[in-house]
Amino acid sequence: MITLLTHLSGSAIVSALTAPGALDPLVVSLQSGAVTLAVLLLLGTPLARMLARGTLPFPRVWEAGVLCSLLLPPLVIGLVLVFMVGPYTTIGQLLGHVHLSATNTFLALVIAEVYESAPYYVLGAQAAFSAVDPRLEQQAALLGDRPSRVFRRVTLPLAAPGLAMALAIAWARAMGAFGAVIIIAYHPYGLPLQIYTTLQETGLASALPFALVLLVVALPLPLAAYIWSARARGRRRG
Amino acid sequence: MLEADVEVDRRDFTVRAELRVRPGERLALFGPSGAGKTTLLEAIAGLVRPRRALITLAGRVLTSTAPPLAAVPPWRRRVGLLRQDPGLFPHLSVRANLGYGPAADRSGAELIQLAGVLGVGNLLAAMPARLSGGQAHRVALGRLLLAHCDALLLDEPYAGLDSSLRRLLTNLVRELVTARQVPSVLVAHELAEAQAFADRLAVIDRGCLLQSGAPDEVVRRPATRRVAELVGYLGFVPVGGSDAAPLAGIHPERIAPGAEPGRGLVMTGTVEAARPAGAGWEAELRVADAVVTCHLPDRPAAAGSELVVTALDPPWFGPDGAAVVRPPRGEQVGA
Repeated sequence: MITLLTHLSGSAIVSALTAPGALDPLVVSLQSGAVTLAVLLLLGTPLARMLARGTLPFPRVWEAGVLCSLLLPPLVIGLVLVFMVGPYTTIGQLLGHVHLSATNTFLALVIAEVYESAPYYVLGAQAAFSAVDPRLEQQAALLGDRPSRVFRRVTLPLAAPGLAMALAIAWARAMGAFGAVIIIAYHPYGLPLQIYTTLQETGLASALPFALVLLVVALPLPLAAYIWSARARGRRRG
Repeated sequence: MLEADVEVDRRDFTVRAELRVRPGERLALFGPSGAGKTTLLEAIAGLVRPRRALITLAGRVLTSTAPPLAAVPPWRRRVGLLRQDPGLFPHLSVRANLGYGPAADRSGAELIQLAGVLGVGNLLAAMPARLSGGQAHRVALGRLLLAHCDALLLDEPYAGLDSSLRRLLTNLVRELVTARQVPSVLVAHELAEAQAFADRLAVIDRGCLLQSGAPDEVVRRPATRRVAELVGYLGFVPVGGSDAAPLAGIHPERIAPGAEPGRGLVMTGTVEAARPAGAGWEAELRVADAVVTCHLPDRPAAAGSELVVTALDPPWFGPDGAAVVRPPRGEQVGA
């Protein structure tokens, strides 16, 4: 951040960000990031909990699947996604029937961001759930709580600091997703693609303001999550 | 009434037990570590799946593996379980922990009254991380009592606490169980703890219930040599010359110095070792090819000396390990 600021003048930032349509990529990134987080929360949280408690059949296969999307280079993920959700695939054709497409659309951008950020959330959430002593959940059940209440009153509050950190990291990854995005979601531009195209078309100085904007929107959530987690843990220590 | 007829498969053996605990009765399950005591409690609580079981509590069938099948989930069993780890919820204050159960009194009057009885009334706003081990156990016990369970299962809850706190908590639970007339089962691997709590003692070993009865009866009249070993008999002395001679079980704490033929088996042996033990002395005595341990009020003679002691009314066992009718008093056995 400091390095960026030392190479940027206020007037350069203002002129770059006040140009017509200059903030559209920011809006796209924020919208796609929010949808990505929602998808991760809805699908990643149960998956992480089941992985942590070993209640999934073939748990190693699921873990390998999560790790694959972490270990594969993002560009390769993008290429794989073309063969998974592209227009000539079964999924792509099914999407076509409802007038949707998973290439060069907002949906494609979300899919790419989900794939790039999911392992960070799922693995972090799995660790957070694993850290909750199952005996506490048993104790809550014996005191009369059905499983959904146990999850709400015991599991979730105890895992929350870890979940918040995992979600914040996933947010930062989604905001910065580029490799898979450039393959299947070149349009609409999010901030990373805006930086790339600006760099290609008008040079480094023009791209720097967008880089600063990306940092400003990507970093506060992890920072806030870190501070909140530290406070939550502090409260438990009394 | 809590009734459990249970078979649970474990990796190394099957736990088989049949228990009946009346309302207000306190049963102690006593046995060595790994005997299957905790498994039995967990089956009653619905935390492990039994191979075969019929468990009923206050007329409700909690588990039945025979038709009509029943498997009431833990949250509907109304069975309270207190373990060695108090299991307080670390994100909730003492007050919130105490009032966790849905049956807990919402007005707070009972909570405050019980917190006072338990000695944690001034800690209601504290977080569990700030509590000492004894305080945490008291809060966990209070939480269980406030949930108004129909049965109380205590799985070595006082391990690691000092003896005065154990006594305090044991007395408290005894009083509350009697007042509320709920059946209670304590798991213990220390006999003194089991005796202090229970009005009935059941000895369990490798998943089998070996004997059940009044605590003093089980200790004084063990049904088998294995039960005798588990309840603290450290020596078995053959009386009579043949291979089929009965063995007298010698408990270190049921020894009187000197010859008292009217009170039991008089033994003459050679002192092999002696060391201070508590307020008295512990001596190892070789008697008829067996070594027996005796607790004596005074320091015995030096090693190698002859010593006469009386094993007070010892239990007798046949060659198969089963208890046999005791020979008439006045038997003597020499070194």
